[in-house]
Amino acid sequence: MTVDASAERDRRSMSKPDGDRTFWGRLAGWGPYHTLMRLATASPRRQFLILAVIPVLWVLTQHLGPMLQMVIVSLTDAYPVAPGVEQHFTLDNYSRFFGDSIFWMPFFRTLIFAGVFTFCTLIITYPVAYFLARHVSRKNQMLFLLLLLIPFWVGEIVRTYAIMILLGNTGAVNLLLKTLGLIDRPIPFMYTSFSMGLGIVYLTALYMLLPLYSALEKLPKSMNEAAADLGAGAWTRFRRISLPLTIEGISSGCTLVFLISTGFYATPVLLGGPSTTVFAETIAGFFHAAGDEWPTGAAFATIMFAAALVLTATFQKLMSALRKGEKK
Amino acid sequence: MFRGNRIFLACVYWAFVLYVFVPLILMVVMGFKDSKFIGFPIRSWTLDWYTGVFADAAVLSTFGYSVAIAVLSTLISIFVGTWIAVLLEGRRFWGRTAVFGMTVLPALVPGIISAIAFRIYARWLGIEPGMGAIVWAHAVHNVPFVVLVVMARLSTLPKSQIEAARDLGADPLISFIRITLPYLVPAILGASIFCLLLSFDDFVRSFFLGGYEPTLPVLIFAKLRSGMSPEINAIATVALVLTAVIGIWAERFTRRMNKET
Repeated sequence: MTVDASAERDRRSMSKPDGDRTFWGRLAGWGPYHTLMRLATASPRRQFLILAVIPVLWVLTQHLGPMLQMVIVSLTDAYPVAPGVEQHFTLDNYSRFFGDSIFWMPFFRTLIFAGVFTFCTLIITYPVAYFLARHVSRKNQMLFLLLLLIPFWVGEIVRTYAIMILLGNTGAVNLLLKTLGLIDRPIPFMYTSFSMGLGIVYLTALYMLLPLYSALEKLPKSMNEAAADLGAGAWTRFRRISLPLTIEGISSGCTLVFLISTGFYATPVLLGGPSTTVFAETIAGFFHAAGDEWPTGAAFATIMFAAALVLTATFQKLMSALRKGEKK
Repeated sequence: MFRGNRIFLACVYWAFVLYVFVPLILMVVMGFKDSKFIGFPIRSWTLDWYTGVFADAAVLSTFGYSVAIAVLSTLISIFVGTWIAVLLEGRRFWGRTAVFGMTVLPALVPGIISAIAFRIYARWLGIEPGMGAIVWAHAVHNVPFVVLVVMARLSTLPKSQIEAARDLGADPLISFIRITLPYLVPAILGASIFCLLLSFDDFVRSFFLGGYEPTLPVLIFAKLRSGMSPEINAIATVALVLTAVIGIWAERFTRRMNKET
């Protein structure tokens, strides 16, 4: 007890440099605060627990909670539960998915579209990222990158609308083709998988570009030069050096873009046509129709999330196996 | 040495710049067209669509509503995100990887699925669709971005400063407020701007969790479903200019702050 008291006296005198007490010094010496802090920091373990409780609670209830609740609701037969009705657990919502092509067709379409769009985004942004990382001087790099960042701050809906204007029958692309004399009647670009693809690539390109850029930036320049000295052409240098060494960037970019692409709702509604209905529209349908279709919607969303996770996890495994193979 | 390559790659880059800018520029230009019909050719020009937007009380209140949602949700995500970052960066502990995995989860869940999960969760908690629900969903969705940005900054914090403060008698809370927090200011500001933009532009969560009052993207979407019109161009252009200006300003601001410290 006496040791404790003298330690405390030491502590107080330390936070009090020669009479001139700052706000913080006074706060540290203020009785109630001091007692509280001493209780909180009595042991590193207690201090840690107090620090951890809010974040862990938040993550459990806010990040995990909604997903878990969605899975639980997907296993019930009625939600929200009407008064007087008993809720039962059932797998009917899942079996409904397999029963009708109107459900699983959009599902597979979404996955295939997302895969194709991801691949297109990769093809389009790789040279751009390569140019930025390898051929632009360090001073201009930020400027060139910023030029690409600006349009990407603009939201999903506004950019989707901009694509609608670009591709319309009297839009800029058709006008250009007409002036060049290539066509005499407008090509109907809109409401096809093409317009949807163009829009989605536009929306997700940055999520591919940034990981590629940072991977390419880490690539040592000397390797390319050495390869060129040894007589490797541009294609060989790309295939044997740049590609294998940026596989990590490619894999994280593709994963991000794929996951985001499967989640678009407004863009397919606005840019797509009747033959390009995606699963997001199917899922949304259950929530907008009045009644107790929520469990089915939840089941479908769960199916989609599980499929997206399994596919991206497989993809990542594949890529890391490829990387290990290259190292040997 | 790689001259041919370089020219080819430069062409691809500028073509890509055109691809991302041209649609937006066209949209802005169309807002000045003196006709209800969207498309070329443009014969005469007008400012009516823009003045109409600024005179429209409904659009203005939607605008204010979106800004309020963005500000509130950003404040929550910054508070929680910084706290989580301090916990995760502070020390290794049992279950740290699990907590980190769960922390980034909302950033990886496809938009439609997260919107629906929140819709169901809100119903379960008894939260009615409307402003509160949107603020809450945006805040949760933005936390991972705050955590990642703040963690990156925390990892470069000079530990000796904390030790010095502790030696001089500061308790953990005071050393956090006086040393760590000022050091984190650039990261927190950068993350705030990012959150503001994300929330302001978010469609899918606002759409599924909104009540009768639409946010700006939801309003544009609703108008678009009943057909294109130059009025939408004007609304979208105002949103575009606002986001671009805030974004550029934030970029310069955070760069300058990062250089100073």
